[in-house]
Amino acid sequence: MDFLKVTSSPHMRHEDTTRVIMLDVILALVPALIWAVYIFGTRALVLTIVSAASAVIFEFLYRLIMKKSATVGDFSAVVTGILLAYTLPVSVPMWMPVLGSFFAIVIVKQLYGGIGKNVVNPALAARVFLFLAFPSEMATYTSPFTKLPAFANVGADVVASATPLSNLKAGTAPDEKLIDLFIGNSAGCIGEVSILLVLAGGLYLLVRKTITWHIPVSFILTSAVIAYIFPGTGMDAVQYVLSELCTGGLVMAAVFMATDYTTSPVSSKGRIIYGIGCGLITMLIRKCGSYDEGVSFAILVMNCLAWYIDKFTRPRVFGGAKKNEK
Amino acid sequence: MAITFSGGIHVDGCKGTNTKAIENMPAPEFVALPLQQHIGAPVQAIVNKGDYVKMGQVIGRNDNALSCPVHASVSGIVERIETRNSYVGAGKTEFVVIKNDGEYTLCDSITPLEKKVTELTCDEVVHLVREAGISGMGGATFPAYAKIQSAVGKAREIIINCAECEPFITANHRLLLEQPMDVINGVKILLIALGLKKATFAIEDNKKNAAKVLEELCCDDEMFSVKLLKTKYPQGDERQIVYALNGVQIPTGKLPADVGCVIFNAETCAAIYHAVVDGMPLISRIVTIDGDCIKESKNLRIPLGTAYRDVIDYCGGVTEDLSKVINGGPMMGSAQWDLDATVTKGTSALLFFSAKYEKKAQPCCIHCGKCVSVCPMHLEPVYLALFAGAGELDKCLEYNLMSCMECGSCSFICPGNVPIVQYIREAKDKIKARPKK
Repeated sequence: MDFLKVTSSPHMRHEDTTRVIMLDVILALVPALIWAVYIFGTRALVLTIVSAASAVIFEFLYRLIMKKSATVGDFSAVVTGILLAYTLPVSVPMWMPVLGSFFAIVIVKQLYGGIGKNVVNPALAARVFLFLAFPSEMATYTSPFTKLPAFANVGADVVASATPLSNLKAGTAPDEKLIDLFIGNSAGCIGEVSILLVLAGGLYLLVRKTITWHIPVSFILTSAVIAYIFPGTGMDAVQYVLSELCTGGLVMAAVFMATDYTTSPVSSKGRIIYGIGCGLITMLIRKCGSYDEGVSFAILVMNCLAWYIDKFTRPRVFGGAKKNEK
Repeated sequence: MAITFSGGIHVDGCKGTNTKAIENMPAPEFVALPLQQHIGAPVQAIVNKGDYVKMGQVIGRNDNALSCPVHASVSGIVERIETRNSYVGAGKTEFVVIKNDGEYTLCDSITPLEKKVTELTCDEVVHLVREAGISGMGGATFPAYAKIQSAVGKAREIIINCAECEPFITANHRLLLEQPMDVINGVKILLIALGLKKATFAIEDNKKNAAKVLEELCCDDEMFSVKLLKTKYPQGDERQIVYALNGVQIPTGKLPADVGCVIFNAETCAAIYHAVVDGMPLISRIVTIDGDCIKESKNLRIPLGTAYRDVIDYCGGVTEDLSKVINGGPMMGSAQWDLDATVTKGTSALLFFSAKYEKKAQPCCIHCGKCVSVCPMHLEPVYLALFAGAGELDKCLEYNLMSCMECGSCSFICPGNVPIVQYIREAKDKIKARPKK
């Protein structure tokens, strides 16, 4: 009591730290994982754990070797690892998430200075890296309830399934009913199939004020509008719109990837523009590109624009000072 | 529906003292009165060491500049006049230390008003308020007489700021419950002085009982209205209160009077009442004593110049884990390094905190944008902190750094524990210090 502490005000802080926020995101991701284990088996869980653990280990080792302060305690590496695993097909070999985590954590995140300083979303960049480097493994999907080994590599004898997204791309309606797509009873990536549970996680994040509605809503709405204006063949417009939204990683990306703090704008207006951009590019790639899925590329492109969007969407200051007023 | 502004934060009010009636704290053996307790120029001592002064006697004044005279809060002998480091802000301040003789002999010049209040002119009220040394008692300590002058001919409405949005503080709340007529009569004097017919009490909806008291006392007077505001920090800021009530944003660099409002803190109004009607200068004020380290939390009327250590003794002492002593609220108050610091005209609370209100994490911005969504001035604190940290002062100005009122909402909400306001303050100081082009 001899020495009183003197600091700049405020002297109270909100209890939510970066760690609490990351724990909230992890919590919001759990329902999708439970579903993945249910339809894809234990292998989904193992892949997720391998991915998250390797992300944490790479972050720890990098900070240690480079003599920087330890940051694994903020749990952001765990979130990156889980998100990366969620974008992988369940049949990929175990080393693949490890390689992906290395790319995400070391190259995309830490080389730029660590949390809060990376330009693009680490998990998505790693996914695209794996996708371009290992196109066949990354595009082999298995149907729900196929028995896969929990750890061993998946043999070529496992029948690859067409995804609803590839059906859409080919111009035909998905084989699954819409309700199955919504619940997640279809082939796809580990964490992306169940739209319902991803939305449940998103709702939790909204309630906890971890994310705001701007990006997910503008992203999904823009995609829906584009799908409605340019419908596919063989089904009515509304069915097509819902099929586009409920296939691939669109909802997962809109809720969990595009809302990544570091790589998205900070103002409400900026977030809406960013979400619209994500939706436009996603649908452009889906409709005109050579890949089935466009969300990863769309978000990576918009990541690069995020800080510029911020620059041009500054809110008008209270009292209306002109931007250059001294 | 309570009205409010956009942005801001919801803080745990911690208003446990709102049931504690105001007690009069006896003056200690010595009082030390700083000769600057207001915004403006310091006053000069007009007493010397060894002089006998009476309670309420002017001991320092400066009639040529924006200032408030300082009065003796007890009667006794001037022990010494010494220079100390300022307890609020930078620089040094002179202190007049008076040894209390325990007689509380009132100064002869303190006499009740000899004519009817309704016959007062504006200049007379300004003179009386100035002579009584009244400065804004919400914390900003702007001389009240100058505020009245600034409103002449411009203001159409008086707003009485009873928001008290800072956590812990309940001094105004208790004042409104216990002595509402003092406040209301003070407002009536201001209405007469300014020739206005409209006064609005703006009060947060966590003080519904006080709002009810005001409504019952003013219900037959159509000049008065009571407006409930949403409980949200910083609701008590002048700009936010005017926006909540009238939907008008005060333009940058302008005063409330420029949009037809003049705002007085509730306790300031009560002080004006006593100054005008009783001739009583400002020599004591209500202070909320709270925090997790003080044995007994209280609302006290404390003679100005009372040292914190005397207040601590009166409240039963502090616990061993005391880490911070804050003059004012936890959001905008200033941490003190010395228990010899004294209660002044701007001390609305004294808080005794352990380390439990601090965050330990190393500062690291994660670009979450929460600071942007809470900023009541609609700034982007994330970029202000970034540019300020990098010394990019011109960029700071481009991002309207000077519009920041340092309310602390951004630092409060920041999950990355970045001391954003501190960075902003440093940048402001650097900008003020650099040579004009």
